[in-house]
Amino acid sequence: MQTRQSNFNEIIMQAIFFLSALISVIAVLAISLFLFMRGIPAISEIGFMDFIFNEKWGPTNTPASYGILSMIVGSIYLTGGAIVIGVPIGLMCAIFLAEFCPDNVYKIVKPAVNLLAGIPSIIYGFFGMQVIVPFVRESFGGNGYSILSASIILGIMILPTIISISESSIRAVPESYAEGSYGIGATKEETVFKVVVPAAKSGILTSIILGIGRAVGETMAVVMVAGNAVMPIDKIEILKPIRTLTTNIVTEMSYASGLHESSLIATGVVLFVFIIILNVSLSVIKSKNQRN
Amino acid sequence: MKKSRILSIIAVALMLMIVFAGCTQETTEADFDFDKDITVVARDAASGTRGAFHEIMDIIVKENNTEVDKLVVGALEFDGTDKVVTAVEGDKYGIGYISLGSVSERIKALAVDGAEPSVENVKSGAYSVSRPFLLVTKGTENELIKDFLKFTESVEGQAITNEMNFIGVADSPEEYTASGMSGTIKVAGSTSVAPLMEKLQEAYNELNPDVTFETQAQGSSQGIKAAIDGSYDIGMASRELKDEEAEELNRYVLAIDGIAVIVNNENPISDLAADDITNIYIGEITKWNAVK
Repeated sequence: MQTRQSNFNEIIMQAIFFLSALISVIAVLAISLFLFMRGIPAISEIGFMDFIFNEKWGPTNTPASYGILSMIVGSIYLTGGAIVIGVPIGLMCAIFLAEFCPDNVYKIVKPAVNLLAGIPSIIYGFFGMQVIVPFVRESFGGNGYSILSASIILGIMILPTIISISESSIRAVPESYAEGSYGIGATKEETVFKVVVPAAKSGILTSIILGIGRAVGETMAVVMVAGNAVMPIDKIEILKPIRTLTTNIVTEMSYASGLHESSLIATGVVLFVFIIILNVSLSVIKSKNQRN
Repeated sequence: MKKSRILSIIAVALMLMIVFAGCTQETTEADFDFDKDITVVARDAASGTRGAFHEIMDIIVKENNTEVDKLVVGALEFDGTDKVVTAVEGDKYGIGYISLGSVSERIKALAVDGAEPSVENVKSGAYSVSRPFLLVTKGTENELIKDFLKFTESVEGQAITNEMNFIGVADSPEEYTASGMSGTIKVAGSTSVAPLMEKLQEAYNELNPDVTFETQAQGSSQGIKAAIDGSYDIGMASRELKDEEAEELNRYVLAIDGIAVIVNNENPISDLAADDITNIYIGEITKWNAVK
């Protein structure tokens, strides 16, 4: 009786857990299905080449044009900018935290990093609009709403991701590596930079890719500092405004109808493909790491 | 240990310096440099203000069945009146446009062709940049919505409209008496109409406390769309309806609104010709000295 009861419980609980696992799969499938079912017809109606490789975006013009090349390039630029700013700072911070940081400093820096991760993106946007934009305008010229401002904000936003994952992967390097290095007479700095950090390479790479994922998908903060102008490719400059895939969707979604609306969903499809590529490369890195 | 403490103090000081640099440089006053590029600020394509302004100022060019918005490349686009104000307030060389009712001392509203943007001038037609505020509904309204619409056209409603610097248009407004109705009215649409709508709702609520309002302001086109598909009872629009929209909806003129052309408070210019404004927005004029 007792065992039958516990068997029964087992089956019920198994079913519940399985269902929970299933829900996330269903959610992903439903979202992809929605995106592709609504997006693909729009892309084929606009024409794949006209959609992806055309830099003219004028959905309210007659005849309308729906080219998102400028926004694809915009997203790539901003992500690149975020990496240039965020990765060196994040990586150095992670190395510092894992290897050189005294305990009492660690107690301040680590919670600060965690807090940085919890700040809502609208706050980042507000901070960017009130502080970074005037700063860029006064220091570098232009009107401040620019690739540079957005990159700085995104660079700060990806810091927590890069710092915490890199830090834990540096900490995960076996103690024997460092001991071996000290054993052959290397200094602390040589050990850290030539032995420990290279050994944590795949974890660091993972953190960068996750950071890229955050930067590509960020919307609210970018929409407030990037200026949202659709720029022809040859006029893109670091101090000029830019529109990304995400901000294109968010600024225009509320009123769009008909083909315009579907073209925004199609913009989402392109964004989705970006994210899939990132995730695939992430799992490639992980599986490579496991084989080693 | 000591070294790291000094290091962290330096780091914190550096960060604060950057923040303060961003804040203070914004407010340091220097002479207005007419050779600087004009920062053109526009609304997103969702906006009724944009639709109306671009049409009135001939920024949208219509010729034999084509319709092209000639907004200059690199113009900033924001999805809300408040963001336009913030952008122009923060940028000495900025120019933007907002509803007359939203003008505050944070920015300066320009005279157009010598006519000050005042209620009298809009009413008399001397100030040419104006557009209607519309409320739209679909099909036959229920008693509650009829009652609310009656209130907006009453003496009380018109008084609120005029108080907000909009121009009431009801020919012979009647006194409104509380109906004691209850229920929910869902309103969506233009961010320019929303402040007026809010005041009207407050006053209506005082008379009929059992009525609740759900209001969402995401742009005229969203409001029109929401009224057409029935997800909201009343749509707010700050532009004229398109033919296909007008066919499906009942149209009520809530008020007439001027669109103010705004510049930074430090900008010495206080009057612009309509042609110059058009030329600034289509990129024919890029520097302030061309309109001095």
